[in-house]
Amino acid sequence: MSAGLPLSDDDLNAYADRQLSPERAAQVEARLAEEPALAARVAAIQRQNATLREAFDPWLAEALPRELIASATARHSARSRARSWPLLAAAASLVVGLAVGWLMRGELLQREGTPVTFPRQAALTHALYAADVNRPVEIWANEEERLVRWLSKRLHFPLHAPNLNSAGFALVGGRLVAGNERPGALFMYENADKQRISLLVRKDAEATRETAFRYAQEDGVGVFYWIDDACGYALSGNLDKTQLLSIARIVYGQLAVAEAAGKP
Amino acid sequence: MPDALPDPDLVSALPRLRRYARVLTGDFSRADDLVQDTLARAWEKRRLWKAGSDLRAWLFTIMHNLYVNQRSLRRRESAETSLDADHGPAAGWEIPTRATQSDRIELGEVLDQIGRLPGEQREVLLLAAVEELRYGDIAQVQGVPIGTVMSRLNRAREKLRRMNAEPAAAPLKVVK
Repeated sequence: MSAGLPLSDDDLNAYADRQLSPERAAQVEARLAEEPALAARVAAIQRQNATLREAFDPWLAEALPRELIASATARHSARSRARSWPLLAAAASLVVGLAVGWLMRGELLQREGTPVTFPRQAALTHALYAADVNRPVEIWANEEERLVRWLSKRLHFPLHAPNLNSAGFALVGGRLVAGNERPGALFMYENADKQRISLLVRKDAEATRETAFRYAQEDGVGVFYWIDDACGYALSGNLDKTQLLSIARIVYGQLAVAEAAGKP
Repeated sequence: MPDALPDPDLVSALPRLRRYARVLTGDFSRADDLVQDTLARAWEKRRLWKAGSDLRAWLFTIMHNLYVNQRSLRRRESAETSLDADHGPAAGWEIPTRATQSDRIELGEVLDQIGRLPGEQREVLLLAAVEELRYGDIAQVQGVPIGTVMSRLNRAREKLRRMNAEPAAAPLKVVK
């Protein structure tokens, strides 16, 4: 039945590597029985495979460096952890600061006013979550609708996740973050170079004064922030100022449109 | 609701990732750097891994792409300072021949011979003969058609065979 069936190099390799379907393997086997020269080639390939495995398998038994195990298990890669330690420490102190701040808020707000602390909160929140490779957000962008509904419910006003595709940034997702009086919402975006920016939205009782765009630098993170309709917005990222500003304008424009559409 | 997808088990894949990195880079310490980069990228992209599919193939694909990108960057940098861009296939292969931790000299020689193969052939040979990956998965790792994988594999085997001067139909030698 198989007599005369031509066998190619590919057939011999695939047969030796056991990659053929059972039917095809049976055909090849029948041919090999008739052609000792081809059978010898297959045997040579299989001997070569065995030698290669003998040479390379001992590497699998070597002890693994601790850093590699840490990177394979930890929520952050070793790299991003090393880079973000100082900011994470600052962010941790922010949590304490927020707790203290909340307890003494009347006094502090009188002395400092909200716009002073808002960009700092935005920068530290950004640093904390943008560095988190595995869990930068609580709800991912594939559930954008659910994300926006949930955050709107928690913040008690309708939110919108701006679409920044035109600036090359795609929505990663979002999360709820601590604020002075009420929680805030954080939307995270990422571009093709894995650079992340985040938009913090917060509505506090004291945020009543409207402001134009303002820029602040906190620990190397650039922040454009503004207060509009009793709501504070802060766009944070490690981008240069003009790039960040152009994205802030897109955000502002889209929110204005969404707001106008939402009003009766 | 938490993510329904399980995280890929990167720890159990580590030894094989490391081995593939060594074959790619030909250098133990550069290999570990490459593994590190691959793990970071794999974490970022972990939702793209289809649970139940071959984890090795997915990780090897990430590693292959990182390696190719890094190599072309390095080439661009070194092209300005040196003219030996057209080096032979063995350039940069620094795997010690005693790296098998085996008494058998011929195994050390195998490592040496592998280093004399062009990178893509060396890669295919490891993935097909040692990892026993499906040819289709190897094509995915290297980002080439399956026919290219088959011809690379064939050439790699033929070269190795000639290095060992083993005649195609040599009778089995009985040693010992």
